[in-house]
Amino acid sequence: MATDTYVMGIFGSEDQAVAAVHDLKKSAWPLVRTHSPIPSHKLAEAVQVKKSKAGWYTLFGGIIGFFSGFALAIFTAVRWDLIVSGKPVVALIPFVIVGFEFTILFAIFGNLIGFLHQSKLPRLANLKHYDSRLSGEHFGVLASCAADQQDGLQDLFRKNGGDVRVFDEQTPTNGR
Amino acid sequence: MQKKTPLQPIIAALIVVGVGAFIFGVMGRNPDRAWQAYLINFLLWSAIAQGGLLFSTVMTTTRAKWSGPLSGLSEAFTGFFPVSFVLFLILFLGAPHVFPWLHSHDLHGKEVWLNLPFLFTRDLIGLLILYGIGFVYLYHSLLLKVEPGDADGAFRSIFNRLQGNRPRDPERIKQRKGVFSILYMLAFALVLSLIGYDLVMSNDPHWISTLFGAYTFVKAFYVGLGGLIIMAAVMHLYPGNDFRLDDAHFHDVGKLFFAFCLVWADFFYVQLVVIWYGNIPEETAYIIERTMAIPWRYLAWSIFVVCFVLPFCILLNKKVKTMPKFMIVLCGCIITGIWFEHLLLLGPSFHPETHVLPFALSDVLISLGFMGLMLAAVSFFFRQFPELARIGKGEVR
Repeated sequence: MATDTYVMGIFGSEDQAVAAVHDLKKSAWPLVRTHSPIPSHKLAEAVQVKKSKAGWYTLFGGIIGFFSGFALAIFTAVRWDLIVSGKPVVALIPFVIVGFEFTILFAIFGNLIGFLHQSKLPRLANLKHYDSRLSGEHFGVLASCAADQQDGLQDLFRKNGGDVRVFDEQTPTNGR
Repeated sequence: MQKKTPLQPIIAALIVVGVGAFIFGVMGRNPDRAWQAYLINFLLWSAIAQGGLLFSTVMTTTRAKWSGPLSGLSEAFTGFFPVSFVLFLILFLGAPHVFPWLHSHDLHGKEVWLNLPFLFTRDLIGLLILYGIGFVYLYHSLLLKVEPGDADGAFRSIFNRLQGNRPRDPERIKQRKGVFSILYMLAFALVLSLIGYDLVMSNDPHWISTLFGAYTFVKAFYVGLGGLIIMAAVMHLYPGNDFRLDDAHFHDVGKLFFAFCLVWADFFYVQLVVIWYGNIPEETAYIIERTMAIPWRYLAWSIFVVCFVLPFCILLNKKVKTMPKFMIVLCGCIITGIWFEHLLLLGPSFHPETHVLPFALSDVLISLGFMGLMLAAVSFFFRQFPELARIGKGEVR
């Protein structure tokens, strides 16, 4: 099926957007994207978002940080090679503090990298099909269809209480 | 008449075995061992009960909604408070066996603090305050959950008599409950610190760690959460009741448990690092004896692995936290680990010359007896206030 027209339903409430996603799943029109002004569990469940892999980035960041912290403390201690108060130069007990702090720091770095990578950020170009109301308090559901089927898709969104905006590749048009 | 559950004969058997082993030990050739096992179990099981109720008070203070029926469950641990209080009174009889400093002649001026009448009086008052506040908190919590006259029993009659026919103002009750939750938390920190200093740290009277009190109450919350998870998982799995939890409940309480696994290890470490830096013989001797000398060093490392390394690695996983059967095993292992941690803290003072770990079958039997007492107290509480165990799936108070 040719899908050269993009239709967006813009909803004032979470439940309307969730209902539209459910209806869309029952239809033949593919769901392209959803927008939410809040972290919506209902919408995530409706879209059936896959579990994020950001946690693995955090874990590996933490593990790398743990060993890096010890390595840094050992390296700097060995470079000076000073014996203070009869303590060993490489003393693991106090180095736990550096190891712990680096674990947290690198886990956060890992989490940030994971978040950016999984969200495909930064996105340098503006979103192609977007409505400024989605930066406010509205929910958005974007779907695509063949040009001759856009009326059916618009009806689906309207039936669930949404405004409709149609995008073609040249000029966006507003419809109600 | 109360209907008997299949658990009751098991509980009765555990108590009989425990009491029998304790009396046999006390009457035998080595009463010290029986009293020392008694002290360890008193500390552990009381901490589980005290830390268990702390969960409910923390949820009240933070106005948390996620805990749902778990708060009601944690309040059932108050059933062990009177038992713990009586056990403390009995401990007085075994004082010569559990306080090595009573036989020491060089307390270096600490006699003012370390003398039996003062020690027992202050700890007794401390426990009275802690348990008293705990019961007042419980009373206000029950007022919000329980209708008068739904069930019979001694606790229930006291509860019904206390509230009388007075009209209930939920807002006022909630406000009072909030005040007593804060008071309980304060009393928990202070009294558990006192118990830690008096009943554990004092056994090596020349060693001092100002953080030992904080370490004691953090540990109590850690095992309290472990006990709560076991109780919740058992009740969730038991087909004979309506109590069911969502995965989200297990996941959330599992995260809190994971967090306090870290806090417990942190409090252990912050004591260790200060002693390591100071390098003062009267401080380091305590650590060296427990982590480097045979037979304690193997036990010390085992405890560190069982109570921190394993739970830390396992609880990183989300799925594991939502598996009740697995969590029963894990929390059971950690509570057992903390039992041995008490042995590690107290053992070298009781057995300074030993080369063999002082652990025998009698210790296991006495511990089973204490477990039976805990089970009896909690099941007694649930018979008095069955509403707390009748919360349906997905229901959040």
